[in-house]
Order: sequence, then structure tokens, then C-alpha cells
Amino acid sequence: MKRILQEYKSKIAPVWCPGCGDYGVLRALHQALADLDVAPEDIITVSGIGCSGRLSHYLNTYSLHGTHGRAVPTALGAKAARPDLTVVAVGGDGDGLGIGGGHIPHAARKNVDITYLLIDNRIYGLTKGQASPTTPVGQRTKTTPYGVYDHPLSAIPIFLAYDVSFIARASSVRVKELTGIVKQAISHKGMSIVYILSPCRTFPVLELKSLKSLILQLPDDHPREDKMKAMERAYSSDPIYTGIFYQIQKPTLEDHLQNDFEKACVTEKNNEKITIKTLMQSYI
Amino acid sequence: MQQKEFTSEVDFVVRIGGEGGEGVISCGELFAQAAARTEYHVFTYISYPAEIRGGFSMIQIRVRDWTIYSMGSEVDYLIVFNQQAWDRTSRYLKKGGTVIYDPDMIVVEKEKEATFLPLPLTKISVDQTGSKLGKNIVALGALGCLFNIEQSIMEKLIHDRFKQKGSEIIEKNLKALKAGYRSGEQNRWECKLHLKSNPEAKTHYMMLSGNEAIALGAIAAGCRFVAGYPITPATPIFETLTRIMPKVGGKAIQMEDEIASISAVIGASFAGEKVITPTSGPGLQLMGEQLNLAAMLELPVVLVNVQRGGPSTGLPTKTEQSDLKFAIYGTAGESPRIILAPTTVEDCFYQTIRAFNLAERFQMPVIILSDQSIGYRKATVSIPDFSGIQEIKGYVTLDDLVIPGTEKIDIVSRIEPTPESIKDYKRFKITEDGISPITRPGTPGGQYIATGLEHTETGKADYSPENHLKMTRKRFKKLESLSRRFEKNPPEYYGSEEAEIGIIGWGSTEGAIREARYLAEERGILVRHLHPKVISPLPDRQIRHFLAGLKQVMVVEENYTGQFAHFIKAKFGIKPIEVHKCEGVPITPEEIYTGIEKVARIVDEKNITRV
Repeated sequence: MKRILQEYKSKIAPVWCPGCGDYGVLRALHQALADLDVAPEDIITVSGIGCSGRLSHYLNTYSLHGTHGRAVPTALGAKAARPDLTVVAVGGDGDGLGIGGGHIPHAARKNVDITYLLIDNRIYGLTKGQASPTTPVGQRTKTTPYGVYDHPLSAIPIFLAYDVSFIARASSVRVKELTGIVKQAISHKGMSIVYILSPCRTFPVLELKSLKSLILQLPDDHPREDKMKAMERAYSSDPIYTGIFYQIQKPTLEDHLQNDFEKACVTEKNNEKITIKTLMQSYI
Repeated sequence: MQQKEFTSEVDFVVRIGGEGGEGVISCGELFAQAAARTEYHVFTYISYPAEIRGGFSMIQIRVRDWTIYSMGSEVDYLIVFNQQAWDRTSRYLKKGGTVIYDPDMIVVEKEKEATFLPLPLTKISVDQTGSKLGKNIVALGALGCLFNIEQSIMEKLIHDRFKQKGSEIIEKNLKALKAGYRSGEQNRWECKLHLKSNPEAKTHYMMLSGNEAIALGAIAAGCRFVAGYPITPATPIFETLTRIMPKVGGKAIQMEDEIASISAVIGASFAGEKVITPTSGPGLQLMGEQLNLAAMLELPVVLVNVQRGGPSTGLPTKTEQSDLKFAIYGTAGESPRIILAPTTVEDCFYQTIRAFNLAERFQMPVIILSDQSIGYRKATVSIPDFSGIQEIKGYVTLDDLVIPGTEKIDIVSRIEPTPESIKDYKRFKITEDGISPITRPGTPGGQYIATGLEHTETGKADYSPENHLKMTRKRFKKLESLSRRFEKNPPEYYGSEEAEIGIIGWGSTEGAIREARYLAEERGILVRHLHPKVISPLPDRQIRHFLAGLKQVMVVEENYTGQFAHFIKAKFGIKPIEVHKCEGVPITPEEIYTGIEKVARIVDEKNITRV
């Protein structure tokens, strides 16, 4: 029996502004999960704070809407505890590149098998228009009335430097392409990041029109294991490439934890878990 | 039995002091291990410098023929490796005590009433092993001779301790050990007491630190997930768990900081595991926001705070009871949490199991407030009766749950909805005791949204006035039902009903206060001693009962401002006499007794005035 999109929708209606890019991301995620045929009860979604943080409310999964910036380590704990489940984390540019930016390299080092959807609208939208780590220089916002002077972060090169094992860029304006990328990200064994350009209609720092004119799919022959090539294309601002920049295979956190278990138990005589009794007797 | 509690035939204190890196602690630990193999009880206290090398380092070992409650006050046997150690510890030497010192390194004031046993530790070590590094083992041999410990026992301990370092190191240490024994014999030291090995008596005892006891308690309680970040003095809990977890089929993960650690345990708890994260004061502060999230999502989380001297980086390797207010009140917005304070090394094991039971059953964070002195203290702990361990599944009335103890340990898990009730599942359903069943991810039909936003019974965000009040009430109702349950526990106070002086303490000072009470009783001053292990929520009625009839109440704690005294004052409207010690070292029975004596005089004077 094929699963339908409806199974992944919760009963709660989204509260985003009309025309918000987050609708596109939600639709792509619903579709990707249905296409991948993962049972809704076998999915954990963790989101941070901001407009993107609300996304977990609209999924019929085990959903956790936590604190600002901590979606990734929270999702990491869930996946480490329950490798049998599919774990998706969601956050915005403030969440993933500002307050929670420090967690990404460490999740990448562990290569935990989660998918992180980082939705960038280049502004703090929910709090009504303050500068974010990706707001362009010169942009006037409510907290930069004379123009932003902090240099914006380039997400993809940062993630390449962290050696995240799956890195893609997509946009919420091309839902079909996004859906395909999200499916591949979830299927990837290891940490995957889908960096999604998603215009805010209320504070249009990232303009829909210019985004549409700038985005271009990576060439079909883009070598996914070539980090330097990926770096070069990631820095291009015209066109802004979308697609999978980088993908490599390496052992995941769950593999390492399983290894620890085997190593620890091989040293025990009977080659199996030890009991609390044996444990306590070793302290006599 | 009561008599035995404060009169002993064997009860002495050994202290070894020197520079960090000189092997002071390993010398003391090996001696303690040897002493633990006799029929006696052992209790150690360690003070490390914060630096890896250099700085003053010391270990104190108390040996007694009955349960030991504190590190003791005065030193019977002092072993000093350098001048600083002598200068800093000689004032604690008991009259008529014994000093072993290196005459080439140290000038002692011989006018003290003590037996002085000079022993050129460095010279012997260099002569025997070609290096001065073995001087701690020479001292160990000398102690072995002084207490007539069979040399073979010491040799075995050295083999076990240095086996990782290779046979050459073992050989050198054995040479040093023999030389230590020999020099004691050559100098015809009088053996004061024979610490005879008695392995039979010891099969029921472990030698554990408070930190290790917490780690074992977590495993016994069914915890199979730890995420943490190293911080002194809580690191040994994390180290022990990282080693043990894979052996029992659990998972241990080192995270990049404390915020990530608590985030990971929240994620794992949401996924259905029993979780723990060990930390110390500064880490607790970092975890503050996520602790509130756990309370809001109604997720079980056990956090251990092994307190150290503060504020800021403070005194990382020293002890203090100064995180109490932060633990109780350190929340933005109001969220329920449970605070437990273990009193002994053994109690660390049982309170940890209790922490898991409470967290899992009441779906909220539980903070275990330990401290450096209890965390690094090693003591002989009896092995629990394994036949008394049973897992309680499903719903049981809370009155059926006993406080975990040597004879009976209940292991409690979270309550899941029945297949019937899952049809119309509301994760945050309002119930009589506030506890709503929780589904484990993977359960079909049990999906829900857990949000840090105020939410309805189904989890949907809702900021309406009536909903906020309703759900706040629901979260605190759990605490109220818990509080009612605690009232039914056996009272946690000791001493005479006729006493007019009461002492209230919490956490690691239990033993010192108990001994101070014995000292007072010996001198005819009656004292009643309350030591609650659940700090929040306090069993109010029990405490009022304790307070009834007391003329003066002292609150003893190791901090500057009297944090528990404030808490007691605010709750019960009394004006206690506050006894504080804020020096980074544990309070001693003598210090508390001095306070009792002063209070006794006040109480007496009041009587006189009244007449």
C-alpha cells in the first residue's frame, strides 16, 4: 500500500504569512517522507526557534519544538538513542548559523545520520525584521538602522570545511527539485544538510524575483566527491547553484556506538552484556 | 548498637600531604585499599590542586571498626613529603600522634607532642630505583610496616595498579615498597595496630567513590544513555559511564559543551531512553534553558551537579554547597523540578536510583546535588541484595514505591498509554495527579508535538489566559502529588525527642553533623538532627514536626550566605542560627560541636531568665 501525503500532515494549520517559503519546504518534506515510505510513527522531527521552528507542528510525526539553536544536538541524541528511527532537524539562519552555529561542526565530526534542513531567509522574520548572520552588508533592518556592517556567512563553504558528508543547496520556490534533494538527503547514511533559500514575503531581504533569476541547477556531471570543485561552485553568486554539492561515505555515529559495544563486550568473557551484579563485584 | 555508633576500639586518621605529582594520592589510595581488605571500614577524603603538577595535594584516610560518617577532625598519623605539606597540616595533628617525614626535605617543630619518625624517602627511592619518583611507594611500605599489613597484599595492589605501565615500572615500585618496609623494621618502629587481611569479611563490600556510586546507580536504575562534557569534579562520573555503558548495551557520547550535552539527553529521553548528564556548577548554569525545556515538554531527565567552590571558575577541585539556590530557583518562568541531595557515598547509589524513578514517573528534571567532597571520597559500601531488585512496569499507586535501599530496590519506568487510550491520545492530558501517559516513538498512533511554547493537552500551541493557568497547574500538580507522597516516607531525623536544640543540614555534611551530635550527647547536650535528602519539594509537615518543641535551630552548610537557611526561613518562618563554612574544605564534627556548645549556652541562659 502506497503512503499518501495526507498521512504526514498534522491536524494543526500553519500560521505562516501567505506566500512564505516555509510552505514549500513543508510540502517538500511531506512528499519526500511519503515517497520514501517511512511510517510517520518512525520519524522524529526536531525544530528550533523562528518561523522555521513551527514546521514540526505541522507534521504527524513524533515532533519536538525545542529551544533556539539546539535542534541539531537534540536530534543527535534522539538518533543515537534510537538508530531505528528517521530523524530530521529543522532550523533557520539564526538557529543554524547564529546561536546554534557551534553545534554543526561537531555533529558533522560525529557524522550522525540525521537530515538538517536549514532554511535561510536572510532575516529574523518571526521577531519582525532584525539582521541575521546572512543579511547582506548595507541592508537596513530594525537592529541595523544605518545598515548591516557584519559580513554575511556563506553556509555551503562552511559546511564543506566541516566535512559534512552530504551538502546540498535548494530553494523553496522549486518544490519539486527540493523534494528530490530532501529524499536523497534522508536516504544518505550520515549527516546531511539541505540549505534552503526561502524568501520571506513580509521582510523581503531575499527577493523572490532575483532569487528565481539567479538559481541554476548544478551541471549533471558535477563531481560530488570533489570538495574543491564544490567549494568553487558554492562561492558563485551568479548563478547561485542548487543541487548536491558534496556527498561522501564515512562511518556514522551509530556505527561507532555499535563498535564501542562490540569492543567493550569482546573484553568480557562471555561476549555479551554484563549485569549490574558483575559490575558491582568488580569494585570489591 | 547506638552505643557502638560513637565509641570505637579502632578509629584513626592517616593523612598524606605533598606536592601534586608526587604520588600522594596513589600512595593514600593504595593504603586505603589495603585497609579495606581488613575487617574495618575505610573512608577517604582527597584534596587536589587545580594544577596537574605542583600545588598542595593531600589525602586523608580514616579507618574504623564501625560505619564511618565523616573524614574525622584530627590526624593520628601524618606523612609529609615536603615542607609545605608540614606547614599546612601540622596544626591538624592530634596530641600524641605520629609523624613520618623526610628529614632531608623538611624541618619539623619537635616541640609538638608527637612521635617523630624521620625517613629519608627521596634518598631511599633514589638508592633503590635510581629515581625519586618512587618515594610515595617507599612511604607506602613504611605505612605497611607501621600497621603490620602483609607485604603480599601490598605487592598485589601494586601489580594491579601499575600493570598497564609494564613490568619495569612494577619492579621499581616493588623495590621501593620493600625498602619502605625494611626501613621501618630497621628503625624498630612500634606496630600500633595490626591491619590483618580478612577477605571473608569483605566479599560484601565495594570500595567506591561517590562519583562511581552515582554512575553505578544510574546503570542499576536502567539508564542506558549518557551525554556529557568534562568538568571537574564531575568528570569521574562521565568517565566511569563512558567505560561501562557499552558493556551493558548503553550509549555514551562526549558532546562539544554542556548545552549540547543536555540537548542530546533531551533528544534521547524524547526517543524513550532513561538519560543522565553529569556536570558541575558552571555546567548547570549553561544547562539552565534546556532544563526548563525538559520541564515544559514533561520529559524525564536526570542531571547530577557535583558542586565545587564558586562563583565563576572558582575552586574547581574544592568542595562547597553553594549551588542550592540555583538548583531550586534557577529557572526563567516557573517550572517544576526535583532536587535530591545524597548524604554518603552509599547514599549516592540509592539516591541516583530514586532520581530516575522520580524523573520517569513524574516526567520532569531531577537534579542530584552532590559535591566534590562526596564525589572524590572513597568509602566501603555494602553490595545490595540483588534479589531485592525488581522492575515495576505500568501504573502502580505511588504509595507502593519504597525508597531504594540495600534490601529492596524498585526500578520504575514511564507510564505509557494503553492500546485503548491511545485512540484519542492527548500527550498532556489533565489527570488527577498531573501525570499523563507518554508514548515511545515508534508507537503507531502515539505521535504528538512537544513544544516549549505553552500548549494545550494535545500539544498545540495556545497562549490563552485560561490555558496557561490550566497547564501551569497541571505541571505543578505533579510536584504536589509528589510532596504528599514524601510526607509518608519515614522521617529523616535523628536524636532525642527531648532535645531543645535542633540542627538542620543537607547533603555531604550528614556524617559530620551526626558525629557532632554524638560528641554533644557524650557531654550531656541533647540534639535533634534533621537531614532531608529531598531538598525540593520539602516534606513540610515532617519538618514542622521536627521543629516542634525546639528552642534553637541551627542550619549547618558549606557556603557563605546560608542558602538552605534562607529556604527554611522562608518556608517555615523560623529564625535559625546559621553556621557556615566557606573555605573549600568540608566542615568537621569539632567545628559543628563548637557551635552546638555555644547554642547550648544560649538555650540555658534563656531558661535561667525565665526562672
